[in-house]
Amino acid sequence: MNEDKELIERTIKGEREAFEMIIQKYQQPLLNYIGRTVGERELALDFTQEVFIKTYSSLHSYKPQYKFSTWLFKIASNFIIDYWRKKKIDAFSLDQQEQDSDLPSLQVPDKEPSIVKKFEISELRERIEQALEKIPAPLREVFVWRHINEFSYEEMAEIKGLPVGTIKNRVFQARELIRTRLEEKA
Amino acid sequence: MKCLSIEQIYLFIEKELPLSENKKIEEHLATCRKCKNALEERRHLLQASENLPLWQTPPDFTQQVMARIFPIRVPLSAWFTAAYAGFGSIILAIFILFLVTGQNFSSLLTSLNYSLWNFVRNLSPVFVKLFKVASLFVKTLQQFFEYIIKAFASLTTIINPQVQIIIITIAIILIAFSIYGIKRKILIGEKT
Repeated sequence: MNEDKELIERTIKGEREAFEMIIQKYQQPLLNYIGRTVGERELALDFTQEVFIKTYSSLHSYKPQYKFSTWLFKIASNFIIDYWRKKKIDAFSLDQQEQDSDLPSLQVPDKEPSIVKKFEISELRERIEQALEKIPAPLREVFVWRHINEFSYEEMAEIKGLPVGTIKNRVFQARELIRTRLEEKA
Repeated sequence: MKCLSIEQIYLFIEKELPLSENKKIEEHLATCRKCKNALEERRHLLQASENLPLWQTPPDFTQQVMARIFPIRVPLSAWFTAAYAGFGSIILAIFILFLVTGQNFSSLLTSLNYSLWNFVRNLSPVFVKLFKVASLFVKTLQQFFEYIIKAFASLTTIINPQVQIIIITIAIILIAFSIYGIKRKILIGEKT
């Protein structure tokens, strides 16, 4: 991670190649996060560009005690929240997003049906992708961070500015909602 | 130990629990079929979730972002080169005109100047009238002009300054030839 800090220092000093390296390093993780959150490839590519531009213009406010990747994803997350707000979609509030009956149960039921094990891994992946689009945006976001971007719970908590416990709970809810929706057709 | 919560199962699979709790869970799983099945179900889900296909960025993505952050600026040296190219083209145009008309340089310049002056003198009243008429249409044509300006702006970003100068020079040559041609036609008319 010191490599990132060095690249930022070089960028601030005016070395364009250093920022080019940052873009090369983070373009795919960012696109995968933004793409899975907004759902459209072209829009996601546009947003990814915008996030890099915003990052470049805010580099002076970056504090080296934080990890660059979490700072970058915080910018991206805020960008997406703004987008939803402009579209007047209250997708980032978990309140009333799901009816109580939809929220996953905390305990293993006595006769729990096996959903996941019915599918082969390749089919399961396809179904997870489809189910991911149907869950609330805040849950989708943490699911992508955890499984595609491979962030730790602590990193996710830092990005969202929430307690680690809340993040763990959201990830758990996302997985269980996806699991229950695996049988639904696309 | 009582049955596991689903969250506990996930955290156990991900090795996110303290060692002491892990041990208790392992002991419980050895005796509880229900929790063991629930664990296998979630393990399978996590395995599939870990290898979801990745979206790829286009090969020129980095260049696209860099071009937006640092718009291309033409260096001063390029403008000098363009100026040389432009000057050279004008000299060449005069030389070609000299070859075509057979006039010496000073008479060529004089005739060109005379032609231009006549052109301006004869057409300026027409231009004034045209300008008055055109001004009436300005408001309606405003949108059209905006499009033209935008198109020209985007063209100048595509075509480099040297090529722009060459295009302008060719246009000047064509205009000069046209003037000469008109003048010659008039002269021939006078002779006959």
